Amino acid sequence: MLVAIAWKNIWRNKVRSLVVIIAVMLGLWAGAFILAYVFGMINQRLQDAIGNEVSHLQIHHPEFSKDFDPKYVVHRGDSVLQMLLHDDQVKAATGRVLANGMVASATTSTGGKFIGVDPNLENSVTSFQHNVVAGEYLTNDDKNKIIIGQRLANKLKVKLKSKVVLTFQDVDGTIVAGAFRVKGIFQIYNSTLEENNLYLSRSDLAELLKVESEVHEIAVLLHDPEQVENYVTLLQTNYPLTLTQGWKQLAPELGLMIDSLDQYMIIFLVIILLALSFGIVNTMLMAVLERVREIGMLMAIGMNKMRLFTMISLETIFMVMIAAPTGLLLAYGTITWLGTSGLDLSGLYQEGYAAFGFKSIIYPQLDLIYYYRIMLLVILTAFLASLYPAITALRLDPVKAIRKL
Amino acid sequence: MYLTLAWRNIWRNKRRTFITMASIVFAVLLAILLDSIKEGMLFKIQENVVSFYTGSIQIHHHGYWDEKTLDNSFIASDSLDRLIQSHPGIKTSANRLESFALVASDHYTKGCVIVGIEPDQESLVTSLDNKITEGQYLTKEDESVLLAEGLAELLRLKVNDTLVILGQGYHGTSAAGKYPIKGLVKFASPELNKSMVYLPLKESQYLFSAPNLITTKVIDIENINEAGVIEGELADALGANYEVMEWKNLMPELDQMIEGERTENLIFLVVLYMLIAFGIFGTVLMMTVERQYEFGVLVAIGMRKLKLSGVVITENIIISILGAISGTLLSVPAVLYFYKFPIRITGELERAYENFGFEPIFYFSIEPIIFYRQAIIVLCIALVLSVYPLFKILNLEPVAAMRD
Repeated sequence: MLVAIAWKNIWRNKVRSLVVIIAVMLGLWAGAFILAYVFGMINQRLQDAIGNEVSHLQIHHPEFSKDFDPKYVVHRGDSVLQMLLHDDQVKAATGRVLANGMVASATTSTGGKFIGVDPNLENSVTSFQHNVVAGEYLTNDDKNKIIIGQRLANKLKVKLKSKVVLTFQDVDGTIVAGAFRVKGIFQIYNSTLEENNLYLSRSDLAELLKVESEVHEIAVLLHDPEQVENYVTLLQTNYPLTLTQGWKQLAPELGLMIDSLDQYMIIFLVIILLALSFGIVNTMLMAVLERVREIGMLMAIGMNKMRLFTMISLETIFMVMIAAPTGLLLAYGTITWLGTSGLDLSGLYQEGYAAFGFKSIIYPQLDLIYYYRIMLLVILTAFLASLYPAITALRLDPVKAIRKL
Repeated sequence: MYLTLAWRNIWRNKRRTFITMASIVFAVLLAILLDSIKEGMLFKIQENVVSFYTGSIQIHHHGYWDEKTLDNSFIASDSLDRLIQSHPGIKTSANRLESFALVASDHYTKGCVIVGIEPDQESLVTSLDNKITEGQYLTKEDESVLLAEGLAELLRLKVNDTLVILGQGYHGTSAAGKYPIKGLVKFASPELNKSMVYLPLKESQYLFSAPNLITTKVIDIENINEAGVIEGELADALGANYEVMEWKNLMPELDQMIEGERTENLIFLVVLYMLIAFGIFGTVLMMTVERQYEFGVLVAIGMRKLKLSGVVITENIIISILGAISGTLLSVPAVLYFYKFPIRITGELERAYENFGFEPIFYFSIEPIIFYRQAIIVLCIALVLSVYPLFKILNLEPVAAMRD
């Protein structure tokens, strides 16, 4: 009986009901969307830094980072790399040969970091090919070709096909030098990297360094970023003679930044939810206010408070029940759509920032479990929000209420 | 006439007015809080990174930044000092003689950055004294060095060991010296931690045969958001012989990152505005529905619809402005509270922050622009939404409205 009355009440005043329904729907949508956006944002940031630079984890000789001495190669690096490439958890892995030294052009010279890479494997880990803005990326057949950053090119005053000479120490401490032709020029969001790093083929650098098929660094990308810490521990136990480090140790500033952003997001979310609940309370209060006369009448003809309260609560339940699935569906639609096409924010940047090659396309994403959580949270908020108006309705004095306009 | 009617209408149904106003008050409050914590977060990142080493503004001899050699140094004159100290907005400044050289222990050699500093000033600008992990901080007259921890480890050196410095001095003279290590400093950034050596300024000027010369003047300012303005003023005051650079030019990648962050955070505000807008719209809509009868009566007894709209619009403007003002006023103590008693970061993150030498707190910004910016935005939203009742009144059928 009450159920039927409540249901009819909802449709008696469509505008009012729609306002409440849309408020709850919008709340659900906003909650789910913001959460998906946060996840997408964190993911994108990780990909910027991890994808371009540090990777999920790196393996070195324990002494390597302190000394940067070419003799500190990864113990049995080749077999470690083969194992990684065949592991299901690993998305991509690559070995690198590294050297620090001087790079000279016809006009000037400066210090640099030389990175010997397997062109294809490197590309699978860092997508380095995307950064090459002029000329071409390395291939496996390249001999004595090199890729340098735009800033370094400007500094050395070299162009594509110019020759540069690299000078550094080999494993025995002897000074060696090699001439390379610039095959490509890269740009990257981090200007320090653009000024310091030079990429050449691993075999070229290994030959000069006399490290044969050894590597100094193995960079690994996992399928599941959550597993980095576990995987680091696993590798460290399996290969005790090497040093395995996750990205948080490799780039502590990055870890700190992402962790603190996470915390800020929680505060943002709380504020958004507060706005949502206040919107609902307000609308509900207005709705009750509008029905003062009607509620007064019901009380006057003998409806008791308990029943009245149940009726108003039932109305809320019905409206939330209509709003929840539609809101979730709407959120799901938006998130799936933006998750594939991406939310391109570059139009919002101040002029000039795009010139840095700073791309910011965010792909919102949300696990199913969060939809449930958001739904529970919003439904709870909606009920709590409707409690106050319902109680206000109960306090009405029927005589005064009827007399009101 | 409009004003009197509108004012009376507002107080005729106090509860309705309060609910509408509350939706605006709360909207302003939340928007300000969100903006304040967003700006606070970005501000803190700027401030922290800038205080690592670079400082907010640096002054060099013209051309130094592109070609960092001692030949591009300049004389640290008193007149320059006075000019900078008397400039409004500047807290303090520190002189440095920065140079690249090889440093060596018995068996190891490494290229690194040798910085001649004024110990007292440097601790004010970059809190170098707080970064000491072993040994002691330098004094002006010392003939000893501070070494970054990572570098010490690399060279296998400890406090009181001897460090050899070998490099090139002013105008190509050779520079060589050996110094006892007085202390170790720890930098959070691995890059800095592997490459910094500090010497008292006097001693470094002697070592590099550059008496009275400095390469860099690091300036600490009251408010880092004013770095750009002060940069321009100083550049004008100092003339073409010097280059004045704010942190955005010194560390373009940090600026990029912060700008990217600001843009990404815009979405939060946009979603908040959507919720706010709908919350306000809901109240306005219900208010209009509730007053149908009243409007019907007024139109039926001959009030012109345009005049009625004028009254209702005036009401909305008054309510919106009152709401925006009280929301802003209410947000001041709220933001100030969080500014004075910030939310502490706990758990793993707290330790990470402390490792970096940061205070583990969430910082709220109290930049005045936040307050009126958000108040004005919400006010605009509220005013745009109040077009709805207008639309309703203009299409009003008095008979149908009264029958409801």
